[in-house]
Amino acid sequence: MKIGFAKTLRNHYVYLLMIAPALIGFSIFFILPTLMNFGYSLTNWSVYKPNYSFIGLKNFVELVHDVQTTAAVKNAFIYAIVMTLLQNILAIPLAVALSLKLKSANLLKTVFFAPAILSVLIVGYLWSFIMTSADHGLLNQLVQFFGFGPINWLGNPKLALFSVLFTQLWQWTGWAMVIYLANIQSIDETLYEAAKIDGANAVQRFFKVTLPLLYPSVSFNVLMSMIGGLKVFDIIFSMTSGGPGYSTETITTMLIRRGFTEGRTAYAAAFGVVFFLLVLIVSKAITWSFNKWEEKIS
Amino acid sequence: MKKSSLIILEIVLIILAAIMLIPIYYLLVTTFKTPAEAALSPMGLPKVFMLDNYIKAFTAMNYPRALLNNLIVNVCSVSLLVAFSSMAAYVIARRPEKIYKRIYGIFMIGLMVPFQISLIPLYKVVSGLGVMNSLTGVILVSVFCINMSFSIFLFKGFINTIPFELEEAAAIDGCRKLRIYWVIVFPLLKPIIATVCILNALAVWNDFMTPLLFLQSPSKAVILLEVYKNVGPFSTDWTAFFPMMVLGVIPMVIFYLFMQRFIINGVVAGSVKG
Repeated sequence: MKIGFAKTLRNHYVYLLMIAPALIGFSIFFILPTLMNFGYSLTNWSVYKPNYSFIGLKNFVELVHDVQTTAAVKNAFIYAIVMTLLQNILAIPLAVALSLKLKSANLLKTVFFAPAILSVLIVGYLWSFIMTSADHGLLNQLVQFFGFGPINWLGNPKLALFSVLFTQLWQWTGWAMVIYLANIQSIDETLYEAAKIDGANAVQRFFKVTLPLLYPSVSFNVLMSMIGGLKVFDIIFSMTSGGPGYSTETITTMLIRRGFTEGRTAYAAAFGVVFFLLVLIVSKAITWSFNKWEEKIS
Repeated sequence: MKKSSLIILEIVLIILAAIMLIPIYYLLVTTFKTPAEAALSPMGLPKVFMLDNYIKAFTAMNYPRALLNNLIVNVCSVSLLVAFSSMAAYVIARRPEKIYKRIYGIFMIGLMVPFQISLIPLYKVVSGLGVMNSLTGVILVSVFCINMSFSIFLFKGFINTIPFELEEAAAIDGCRKLRIYWVIVFPLLKPIIATVCILNALAVWNDFMTPLLFLQSPSKAVILLEVYKNVGPFSTDWTAFFPMMVLGVIPMVIFYLFMQRFIINGVVAGSVKG
């Protein structure tokens, strides 16, 4: 047994050596903190209580009753769902349009994708200047030019989250679009010819040929916008810092507020565990429903 | 589709693209204006193209040093990611032993669990290792905590599609394992290396949370931290802040102008399921 193991080790040491840097680094910087986080979530550790003790699930009970964290979770879900819907509903027709033989298709693609390479933080600052309710706000000057009253884009608690979301739509629709475009261009032309011969019009061809074959990119983009939406941080940080009140506070901003700003380490850890479970459920649900869709169309 | 409707569609798309560019145009013209001028005619061309604002921004941001810090973080992170993830993915893709499947499973946890949930323990680990407030710390977090799982996932998917024969021939010739990898396999990975480089370069360059949490001293600041630091102080002279935003995005814009085909192809390749 011992000799066998030594032999395997000798045969494998190069492979183990090759995998080691990645595995060791990943264990230290990802696995270890994740495990520590699960541990912390069961304690009452905070900067005010350095000698912490085990308190079981108390943090989780408190979380459920914490109106600010539950509001943050709700905001993150609203943001993620609306973002996912709008981004994909806008990106698919754009991709279809660019797949037609347009002279300026390449230039248009370059422009639509461009905002995605900018830093989200700076995009946030730029749009907060554009959306400001001060006299110099570009968007309100435009609104007033068309004869409407000024709108408090970022100061109205009912509107702020959607104003923030709008900027991200501006920034990321092109990203989803190029993925759809590549998918559309990989679809076999003869399928369209066949559908045409069968008498399908353009709309029918879109729903019967294009959309089902877009299955891989739809599932990818939906998963990405949904998870990315739940994790949203930079744009909130630069545009509203969670305000007004708690109306744009999301999961990640709340995690940092509770954990770093308020020093409630264990409480934030518990919130992190809840966040993990939510992401797990959402991604499982999305993958499951797309598998169902795939079964149905194939 | 009829030719006339194609032309109408094209015109609509061009108008839409022009509207999308308004914020960028606004960003650029405002850099040359005083607050009063910008309030009076936000969309007009500036009366004079004064560069004072840019000079002020350049000094306030310590631009050369911040840019250098960004380059160090980016070049190191991307190189380490390519070297470590490709080697690991190669072993995982090629070896039939169960242990490597298990290890792959461990790496893939990183795709399921958002690293944001464990920011506080991560903070403890980083300070425990003595790399807090250093570019090294940011590089290690970017490489191992944030971007490694996805890079391994991409590399493994690609290596699975490469035929085995070349490596076997080399092994018969008595080539050593590590040499086989670097001399024979690694050059074949070029397309996926390009994808991994581009996706990670974008992600690392635009990542704000990691430097925000792990870099405190001003001399180590990266560009985004400098921008963040200057928002408050420039709130009255707000147009003077605009050149900072331009300086903040300009490296990526130049990168995009020269590499756009590769960037867009990289984004597409990264979306294909392995």
